[in-house]
Amino acid sequence: MEYAVETFSLTKTFSDWWGRNKVYAVDNLNLKIAANQVFGLLGPNGSGKTTTLKMLLGLLYPTKGRALCLGGDAAEPAISQRIGFLPEESYLYRYLTARETLDFYGRLFKLPAKVRKMRTEALLDMVGLKAVANRQVGTFSKGMARRIGLAQALINDPDLLILDEPTTGLDPIGTRQIKDLIIELAKRGKTILLCTHLLADVEDVCDQIAILYGGKIQAEGRVQDLLQQTDKTEITTGRISENALVKIRQIIRDEHADCDVKSPMSKLETFFINIVAQARQQAVPTSGAESKTEISGFLTAAGAEKSRPAAVLDELVSPAASTPQPSQETPQTHEVHPVRSSPEEDLLRKLTAQPEPKPVAADSSVQPTPAEQQLQSEQQIRKDILDRLTGRTDSDTKNQTGGD
Amino acid sequence: MSKIWAVAINTVRQALRLKIAAVFIVLLLVLLPVMGFKVTGDGTLKGRLQTFISYGLSLTTLLLCLLTIVGSIYTLTSDVKQMQIFTVLTKPVRRFQLILGKFLGIILLDVLLLGLFSAIIYAIVVNMPGFVKADDTELARADNEFFTARAGLMPQQADVSKDVDSAYEKLRQNGELPADLEGSRIAVKNYKNELARRIQLSKRAAAVGQELLWEFNNVKITDPNQKLFIRFKYDVSVNPSDLQVYSSWIAGDDRQIKLGTGVKTPIYQFDRRDLIRTAREIEVPADAVADDGYIAVGFFNPPLNDTVIIFPPEDGLEILYKADTFTANFLRGVLLVLIRLVFLAAMGVLAGSFLSFPVALLLSLAVFFTANISGFIIESFEYVGKGVSDIYNVGFKTLLQLLPQFDKFSTTTFLVPGRLLSWTVLAELVLSTVCLKAVLLLLLALLIFHYREIAKVTV
Repeated sequence: MEYAVETFSLTKTFSDWWGRNKVYAVDNLNLKIAANQVFGLLGPNGSGKTTTLKMLLGLLYPTKGRALCLGGDAAEPAISQRIGFLPEESYLYRYLTARETLDFYGRLFKLPAKVRKMRTEALLDMVGLKAVANRQVGTFSKGMARRIGLAQALINDPDLLILDEPTTGLDPIGTRQIKDLIIELAKRGKTILLCTHLLADVEDVCDQIAILYGGKIQAEGRVQDLLQQTDKTEITTGRISENALVKIRQIIRDEHADCDVKSPMSKLETFFINIVAQARQQAVPTSGAESKTEISGFLTAAGAEKSRPAAVLDELVSPAASTPQPSQETPQTHEVHPVRSSPEEDLLRKLTAQPEPKPVAADSSVQPTPAEQQLQSEQQIRKDILDRLTGRTDSDTKNQTGGD
Repeated sequence: MSKIWAVAINTVRQALRLKIAAVFIVLLLVLLPVMGFKVTGDGTLKGRLQTFISYGLSLTTLLLCLLTIVGSIYTLTSDVKQMQIFTVLTKPVRRFQLILGKFLGIILLDVLLLGLFSAIIYAIVVNMPGFVKADDTELARADNEFFTARAGLMPQQADVSKDVDSAYEKLRQNGELPADLEGSRIAVKNYKNELARRIQLSKRAAAVGQELLWEFNNVKITDPNQKLFIRFKYDVSVNPSDLQVYSSWIAGDDRQIKLGTGVKTPIYQFDRRDLIRTAREIEVPADAVADDGYIAVGFFNPPLNDTVIIFPPEDGLEILYKADTFTANFLRGVLLVLIRLVFLAAMGVLAGSFLSFPVALLLSLAVFFTANISGFIIESFEYVGKGVSDIYNVGFKTLLQLLPQFDKFSTTTFLVPGRLLSWTVLAELVLSTVCLKAVLLLLLALLIFHYREIAKVTV
């Protein structure tokens, strides 16, 4: 199997000036990141994450072992040509404008002037800095600098994107945008190595993670496998009556299980994004970055042209994406995995079993519209299910309703 | 090359936008025109021109040297310290490309600024006769002695080895040799050198009533209407009360008299009274030079004096004649400054490749000032005691020779007296200072930077 990133007993030690007090920053690290994965390298501060990245990129030399990126040494131009790197701080030239910054990095990749210009404008647009493209980067806020940092990492349309704390300093919209971008890039066949201690970022976007501590991997695997609590079941429904809840609790007690019922809360991130979206609709002016959610066309198009897996992914995941168009807000997709344990399956079956639809009494005086008909039908079905679950009859329901 | 160029342009932008260069640029833009109008020199037009070009070029050279040192060190050390280098070296850029790009950027900046300030100096100099009240004599003198590029010919040293051997033998037979010469070859060699110096000096000394004659060949006169100059400086055995001596000079083709062929080219005579130990020039029409480029210069010590007159070997007598234009000489002078800047840029890049900014700056400044007085240092070590001299010869001298001699090859030493800075001299300097020393420094910088870890381990 070909790995995008591979380390072999990668070790980095450091000592004091006299060569004493040897400390292992990274200790015999054997990391394998398959191509087309979003891999999260997690760990507390000082666990060796950034040191590992620096060795991968040739900024530090390993004391022992070897690190390969895309099958070779990242210091080799042929390899680094295909890598994008965003360091933990956006280490940019403060005296260059945003546009000049991207142009400069584009020149380092020997991009033709036309392509460089096109990509620069596209990326500026993508990271929402087009309005401040001629401002020096030194005057940017941390979040804006992060955005231009990300743009420079993408200027070469990399196959392997290494992001060190990519969302640090970004507002929730920027954070969301970067997460969406990571997901989108992964769909295009890119490999993304995400190094962070912000666990929410990892949970949302990573396929695979490794947790580092003391320079060693403490845990590694698929996010789904590591985080799934197989001894618990979560059911989400629309709003239901107190009586129905009592019945449900009873059913669950019959299964010898505990149950906690509460109304789910929206994510603060979602709430925040909605508020800002409303403000934007009202055209409230801002001097900061404008949040965009469109992925630059060249990233998707070029990626699709270049790599076979990306092309396959385009067909499988997003048929419309193969023709690069300004996309709408990229929706978060969550896979649904069936739960395997049989008692839970039974419970779910009970909860979701659809009864035979009963004929609805026709009212000749009122003709519902097709949409209303569908809504009524769905409400009726849901009501029937709940009635069955709670063992309630039609008369009970009527009485209860009358009592209210 | 395009990557090196991209880094170079970025380096120029860095120097200009971070106002590193701004201080130097503003200072020179203000000072140069002010100096152009304010300097007076000795009150003559030539004096004003010489003073302005001397101070103007020296100031420009000094400030550009400092800018080059600071700029070349800062551009690399700041990239490492502020970690922009992480985003550059993770791109398909090799480390040598980064170093060469930084170096090229500093050179580009130097060329830009040197071009600008040289143009200002040149414009002020060539226009100075227009805004200074000067009579025709002063204008002609400025033309002949400043707005020119004069080549110099010095009399050849006579071979005195036989005289030395016979004098030494005579002293030995008379038992007059110093006692410490026995068994020491070095001491004998030094003693003979001293004898040779004395004999050489005696051949350049004229007692009262005596004459000296020097012959010069290959004087290349391009225009017979131009002037040539006998530049001389007297030393004396006894100081006259008014520090002046009388003299009688002739210049021309003396072979016409010796061979009795008839006078085809004129022979000129000059009777003078000049200060001792001060360089003076006698203006001679160029038609005194024979067609084959021969001219003889004769000196007579008249009985009006009561001292021996000596012409020191290093600067006692020289023939000067116009060999090129002032503009061409000025251009070569500017290139000479550029050679110095190239060396300093390489030095700065080397220091910045492994040292922090303050330490690298200190090292580079030490090298810069040592190179500025290397001639003095080398000369002074020739006279130290034996023990120190050995240590100096083995170690320190080699190190000093690795440095360029900025004091020996300064633009002003050529332009102020209107001396020719030839392409040959310039080419030799390019070869030794740029092709050898600067390239050596750059190679060392590349080697160090190649093996250096750019990041630090932070745990």
